[in-house]
Parts: sequence; C-alpha cells; structure tokens
Amino acid sequence: MLQINNINKAFGTTRVLQNISLELPKGETLAVLGRSGCGKTTLLKIIAGLLPADAGEILQNDQRQNELPPQRRNAVYLYQEALLFPHLNVWENIAFGLRLRKTPENELKNRVEALLVHLGLQAEARRMPQALSGGQKQRVAFGRAIIIEPQVLLLDEPFGALDPETRSQMQDFYQKTAEQLQLSAVFVTHDLKEALRMGTRWAYLDQGQLQTYPTREAFVRDPKTGIEQEIEFWKNV
Amino acid sequence: MRRLPFIALVLLFALPFVYFGVAAFADQWRFPALWPPGWTLQHWAALGGGQWGQSAGLSLSLALLTGGIATALGFWTAHGLSQSKHARRWLLWAYFPYAFSPVIYAHGLKFFFNSAQLAGQFPGVLLGQLILCYPFAVLFFFSHFDQRLREMEALSYTLGAGPRAVWWRVLLPVSRPALLLCFFQIFLISWFDYGLSSVIGLGQVRTLTVAVYQYIMEANAGLAAVSACLLCLPPLVLLWVNQGFLQKKVEI
Repeated sequence: MLQINNINKAFGTTRVLQNISLELPKGETLAVLGRSGCGKTTLLKIIAGLLPADAGEILQNDQRQNELPPQRRNAVYLYQEALLFPHLNVWENIAFGLRLRKTPENELKNRVEALLVHLGLQAEARRMPQALSGGQKQRVAFGRAIIIEPQVLLLDEPFGALDPETRSQMQDFYQKTAEQLQLSAVFVTHDLKEALRMGTRWAYLDQGQLQTYPTREAFVRDPKTGIEQEIEFWKNV
Repeated sequence: MRRLPFIALVLLFALPFVYFGVAAFADQWRFPALWPPGWTLQHWAALGGGQWGQSAGLSLSLALLTGGIATALGFWTAHGLSQSKHARRWLLWAYFPYAFSPVIYAHGLKFFFNSAQLAGQFPGVLLGQLILCYPFAVLFFFSHFDQRLREMEALSYTLGAGPRAVWWRVLLPVSRPALLLCFFQIFLISWFDYGLSSVIGLGQVRTLTVAVYQYIMEANAGLAAVSACLLCLPPLVLLWVNQGFLQKKVEI
C-alpha cells in the first residue's frame, strides 16, 4: 500500500503542493484529475523519487521511501510519450528491467514471451521502436514497466498523445490489465472521462491542494471537477 | 541546363583536390603553364623519409586524442549541465574561447604554456587544442540532452537502473550517433589545425599542416601537394566509414 502524508513542495516562492495526503491500497487505481500546471507531475515525480519533497512522508507497505533513490523505490513513472529505448528492439525493451535485475535467462525469456502474448505484440517482438505505431509503442512501454512487478505505477497522462480511437483501446487495455494483475497506480489526467474510466478511486488537484473522494458519486457531484457541467452540456446538445 | 549549377558546385569542391592530385605528380610545373609538362613520382619518394611518417603520426595522434578526450569530457559536462538549474549561465563559459580567433587566443595563452614548459611540446599542443575543442563538445552535446533524453534517463532510474547502468545501457548507446558525429568533427578540427599548433608548438611540433606550410614557404609546391593529399586522406576515410550514419538523421 502507498501512503503519502502531508507532502509539501515549493519552487522558489511558488508553493506547488500543499499538505498532500493520500492512501492507495494494492490493486487500486487513483485517478487524479487536474488542470495543466496544478502540480500533478510534481506529485508523481516526488513519489517516484525524481524530485525531493520539502516536507512530508512517503510510505510503501509502511516503509519510509523519502531517502531512497528512484531505482530502489519500485515505482515506475510512465510519461505521455512512450520513450522506448531506440537502440533496443521490442523484446529487449520489455526485458530491460529484468536484465537489470540479472533475472536468469530462461525465466527472463518465459516472462517476456508471456507478456508479449498478453500485449498482443508477438509479431512485433523483433521490430525496432521506430517501426511501431503510437498505440503499439505505449503497449511496449507499459509492458516494460509491469514486467518488473512495480509496487506502484505512476502514469502521467500516458495516453495523452494518442488519437481518440487508440486512446480508447489503450484505456480498455489498461483497465483489463490492472484488474488482472492487481496493479496499483496513480493515474493523472486532465480528461474528465479518462479519470472516471481509469480510476477505482478519485482525487482532484487544484492549486497544489488535493481533494480525495470516498465514492465515484462524490467525485462527480463536486462542482470543482466540472463533471456535472459536462453532463449538462451533453444533455442540452 | 538544369544540371549546370550542380556541376558547377561539384567542380568548385573538386577543383582543389584535383589540383593537389595533379601537383603531387607534376614535374617542373611552373607558371604560366596550365598543365604540367611531365610527370614524376619523386615527390612521393620523399615519403620514405622519417619526417613524413613522424608528421602524419603526430597529426593522427593529436586528432585521435583531442577527438576522444574532448568528446568524452564534453558529453559528461553537458550531461551535468542539463541537470543544473543554472545551465544557461554556466554554458556562457563555453562560448568564451570563441570570443577571439584561435591564433590570437593561442598567443594570449603562450605565456602560460612557456611558463609551464609546455610550448613546443606535444602535450602543450594537445592541451591547446583541447582548450578550444572541449567547449565545442559541450555546446554540441548541450542541445543533445533535451527534455526527451532527460525523461528517458529519469524513466530508466524508475525501472531500477542505477547511475552506472543508466550510462552504459541507456545514455551512451542512445547517444552513439551524436558521439560519433562530435568525435568526427573534432577530429577534423584538430587534423586541419594550423594556427594553434604552430603558435603553441613553436614549429617544433611538426604536424602535417605545419609541414605543408613550411613547404609552401620553401616554394616546394610538389612536396606541399603531397602533404595536402595526405591531409585529405584520413577525413576521406572517416567520411567513407561513417557515410551510413552521417546520412541518417541524428535522433533519439
């Protein structure tokens, strides 16, 4: 379980995050909705260990993470862009984390092959990243992250650069995989529909303050999220 | 007619090389003759002398060392700068050696090289060239470490890579085309350098460019042409070896 207690972060005189606290049990996805520049990326980077917090505490399974470097946190950060390693083919991109952990070759091969089947990318295993479509790249990036069984996935608008159809396919894919593998994830987005679809828990980040909601209904009803306005708009079209 | 500008351009580039080739084999070719009256191999026979091999070896060692050291240091420094909050401020220092022409810069540094007893020595010329080429490499790689590469590095850390693995498994392989391109450019800068080598080398570090100039001063056109042909050789070989990757866009 991921637990965050009173995280604060400022850049110069600008306070980006103020007393952020949240809990994320295993197998849940916390969808964090927020406008651009509200501090979503900063929050994820602090959890990943890519930025230090000014104050507050990050715990994973009751173990304090603040002093650990990113490579020892087992929290994988996924960007909007797939950022596949251009010198490695699909197979080697997925195997990257296992090779770092010196996984025995037989086990590594079996796990990569099984994941390629799950991702529907067996035919692309030997292709280089430049030869893949946007959706395929994101699936490889996703596979590269989940093969190391991270404690938590940190998803920074991961489908934001995809066209609407591919985005919808990737959302379906994520939902199925998260359920099947019991993934824990913090999924930040500025897209209302995506937040509702991807989350099993919801939060709204505005001007550095995080509001968490006990239920989906509470999230929808809060006027700050703008969901009711959106529903009204579509009713009146 | 449409090919005319293209042919003119090829001729413009090819003409000096054709001239060197002809002059290197020409016998008694003097103004105002447009074409040599005869041919000889006697200029090339001088290649058997120890001085040529020494000059070629010196130039090659200097270019390889300057290229290798400046590329490695520049890559490492630019990576550090890309992580810094005040990167632009630090980067200004890299432009400093280019405020003067290399020869004036070399004259300015000559006092320090004399004091350190490096003037007229191979390490002195190497250091002099590094003072110019290292900032060039820093500027070259600073734009290479863009947001995309920085994010790829950060992602690698979260996948479990330590700093060493990030360098060996991600940054260096991903940057291979840029590293080769930078090395190639610095190799050429060093290989063709005359001003700095002659000022700091005091004419005692006799690289090929220094030798060419000395032959020209002695009005020995044949030997100067042979030296010039030798000067062109390694860059042409490098171009041939690297043509595949030079034609490719350097991207990550």
